[in-house]
Amino acid sequence: MIGFILRRLLIIIPMALLVVSVTWGLIRLAPGNFYSDERALPPAIEENIKRKYGLDKPIYQQYLIMMGNVVRGDFGDSLKYQGQSVNEIIFRHLPYSATIGVLAYLLALFIGLAAGIIAALRQNSAFDYGSMATAMLGLSVPNFVLGPILVIVFALWLYWLPPARWGGISHLILPVITLAAIYAAYIARLTRAGMLEVMRSDYIRTARAKGLDEKTVLLKHGLRGGIIPVVSFTGPALAHLLAGTVVVERVFAIPGLGNIFIQSVLNRDEPLTLGIVAFLSILIMIFNLAVDISYGFLDPRIRYE
Amino acid sequence: MIALYDGLVEYHPKTMEPIPAIAERWQVSEDGTEYTFFLREGARFSNGRMITAKDFEYSIRRGFSPELASKNAKLAYYIKNSEAYNSGKVFAQRLDGSFILEPRTSEERSVERAKTSFSDNALLTERLAELRKPQRLTLPSNENKRAEFIEKNPELQPLLIGAKFIPVAAEDIGVEAVDDRILRFKLNQPAPFFLGLLAHQFFRVVDKETVEKFGKDWTRVENIVTSGAFLLKEHHPYDRIIVEKNPGYWDEEMVRLKRIEFYPLEEATTMMNLYKSGSVDAVYNHVPPAAWVANLRKFEDEYLDFPEVAIEYYTINVTKPPMDKLKVRQAFALAIDRETLSKFRQTTQPLIDFTPEGIFPEYEKARQRVYREKLAAAGSSLEEWKSRVFDPEKARRLLEESGFPVLRSGNGFSCPTFPVDQVDLTYNTSESNKATAEFIQAQWKQNLGITIPLKNMEFRTWLSERSKLNYNGFGRAGWVGDYMDPNTFLNLFYTSRNDSSTGWYDARFDQLIDASNRELNESKRFELMAEAELLMMQGQPVIPLQTQATNWVKKPYVKGLYPNPGTLHSWKFVYIETDPTKWDREVRNIMNSQDEWVYRNIDRLNATTKSTSD
Repeated sequence: MIGFILRRLLIIIPMALLVVSVTWGLIRLAPGNFYSDERALPPAIEENIKRKYGLDKPIYQQYLIMMGNVVRGDFGDSLKYQGQSVNEIIFRHLPYSATIGVLAYLLALFIGLAAGIIAALRQNSAFDYGSMATAMLGLSVPNFVLGPILVIVFALWLYWLPPARWGGISHLILPVITLAAIYAAYIARLTRAGMLEVMRSDYIRTARAKGLDEKTVLLKHGLRGGIIPVVSFTGPALAHLLAGTVVVERVFAIPGLGNIFIQSVLNRDEPLTLGIVAFLSILIMIFNLAVDISYGFLDPRIRYE
Repeated sequence: MIALYDGLVEYHPKTMEPIPAIAERWQVSEDGTEYTFFLREGARFSNGRMITAKDFEYSIRRGFSPELASKNAKLAYYIKNSEAYNSGKVFAQRLDGSFILEPRTSEERSVERAKTSFSDNALLTERLAELRKPQRLTLPSNENKRAEFIEKNPELQPLLIGAKFIPVAAEDIGVEAVDDRILRFKLNQPAPFFLGLLAHQFFRVVDKETVEKFGKDWTRVENIVTSGAFLLKEHHPYDRIIVEKNPGYWDEEMVRLKRIEFYPLEEATTMMNLYKSGSVDAVYNHVPPAAWVANLRKFEDEYLDFPEVAIEYYTINVTKPPMDKLKVRQAFALAIDRETLSKFRQTTQPLIDFTPEGIFPEYEKARQRVYREKLAAAGSSLEEWKSRVFDPEKARRLLEESGFPVLRSGNGFSCPTFPVDQVDLTYNTSESNKATAEFIQAQWKQNLGITIPLKNMEFRTWLSERSKLNYNGFGRAGWVGDYMDPNTFLNLFYTSRNDSSTGWYDARFDQLIDASNRELNESKRFELMAEAELLMMQGQPVIPLQTQATNWVKKPYVKGLYPNPGTLHSWKFVYIETDPTKWDREVRNIMNSQDEWVYRNIDRLNATTKSTSD
């Protein structure tokens, strides 16, 4: 078990470096530069800029310098926001994304699990059909539609909630709901399907035959097996939620990581883009590992060598 | 940031003309190459230090330093030796310590020779006045590049024998503090628009001690020292910038806002939502999405669309066939119904020349005169010129004359011989650019029977490809004036290595622009520029489409904030009016109505220049 975890952790490092290298290559392949705009620069000024940022060196040297910095965990300074280091920017903007991400995750888990379990236990009831229809709707309406609709209704018609930006708790409500909707719908459907299958299986019948009460059967035996598909879905989903979801952050003008990521790409802010890519890839790999580990606890049939 | 830093002059809130800021008054030498500024007493940095001419000298010289690599440095290349310093060049010094000067061009030499033989010729005296003052010769500092340069200019060879090369230093730049209160600029050519440039952020004053002490961290909130009407309180990139009134500002009494919060948001719809819900008082910089414009026009107290010192046009790659033929270029330019385009785009105005309409009224008058005269001489007329706004008949005729006959087919036209595969229309990806491109594609199809393929590219990718002329046919472009003078537009076509992204160049155009820069009489100067503009437009390296408009909203109680041509706001003039009877009603009249408080302050500031100008 420990060996398995260590091996997986060690793989993360070369994988992250590979992702960074590919990203760097893609940025360099794209024509244009962080300093290009409508005003063409005289060659002398362009040379000054290149010298300042080390772009006058041969390309392999630039790559080695970049990789050297990345290995040391130092991505340098943002090109767009002078004097601000990439690490500083990432850790300044991560909390925004993480806050709405974690809240949306909890909300989605709560709604999804509750709706899924109840629907499974009362299969073919009005609640089952109603909640699954709602889930279908939740899956089909993309968040760039849901977000603006919520804004129009709750911010511009009813004036109950602010339409955008970061502020108090009231600012969190709309983005969290928008972000949670699709995940809640997914979780509800996965839970229902998983529970239906498990509750018909032999070991549940055995548990009932032993005379256990229905509550213990459901929570101790049923749920553990029933939510395995949910776990494998929500593990990476949490990584995505933490790392920021571009659309929701843009619609609600939240200065989270997703927003910064898009901006950095459009601005050709290479160090910042690389930093965020490295950070996200490591985050996603760690969550995937966590998911794999949790299988072992949830399902006694899964063992690690 | 206009709110944070002061310069020698400030933008007039309505017209963007320069009005005094830290400079109380100024003098311009007779030949227009020397500007002397007299600074006011009592201007201080936010750390309490007095602002002197030395600080301006430092700030401006710093702007040119190759290590800072400022993108705006080019704007100020009119200052003597600034370009040479910025691009790391060397002077050539003789053994006796004197500097080698630039040799005269052959034309200049002939004028000079003539001087010695007929010294009292009036015309010649005038030509002589036009002669450039000889400048010190500058050469690349890199030895290989220098050798290459000398090889290309063999006439330099004998001059440089035994010369010593001395790097151009910051001290050589033509900006110098004569004493604490007097700052002098020396230009390498007369530049009548120079004063208008000085309000630009490049020329605003920064605190040397702070910059040198904190290095690249000097702009952080905890370190920054500013010189303007407001202090930086919070700076969260991508989220908000909060500034507060600077109690130590030299003109502190006039600043009425205690605090301004700026939200640099990307999504236009999100911004409009914030505005509608009352969270923000004004949103500017082209905010409302096109779909909202018709709706917003109903709010006559809030929505502003005024001509801007900005244009949209299509460049033509004149180096590739079939666009290398003038008549083909003209045909495509004539086949666009610009009136309808403007109606479609809702806020813009049709444009047939290269400088925006309704921004430089004096220039437009001069241009009218010049065009009338020149066109009449060429057997045409101003009326015919103006019909270029849309003339499909003539467009088809021109195409036919260049070997691509346009045939009538059914209700429309077709032009089977035109090589559609050699021509594209490329634009940088955006909803509105796409809409315009599709409109124009339809116009060409309808009027010429030619369907030009559309291509789109990400903005920075496109800029890079366009400037290298890596495109066929047409390319979308926009230009925003840097200062309030037509020169900021025409300069795009100046010299053979110009920034027009078209491949077009004409030495006569350069001569006219040079002559206009030397001319100190404004109407004569404008006439020379108009001649240059006509010459360029007759070559049709671009298809002008429209003059852009400001496109933003503000609540009626926000006063002193005007839709000026560059949407550059002098925040010290902005205030919140609590008396509803004085609110801005009907923003259509906002540029004509006089805000008594704003004008009183402008007059007060301008008063210091008048006292000495006679």
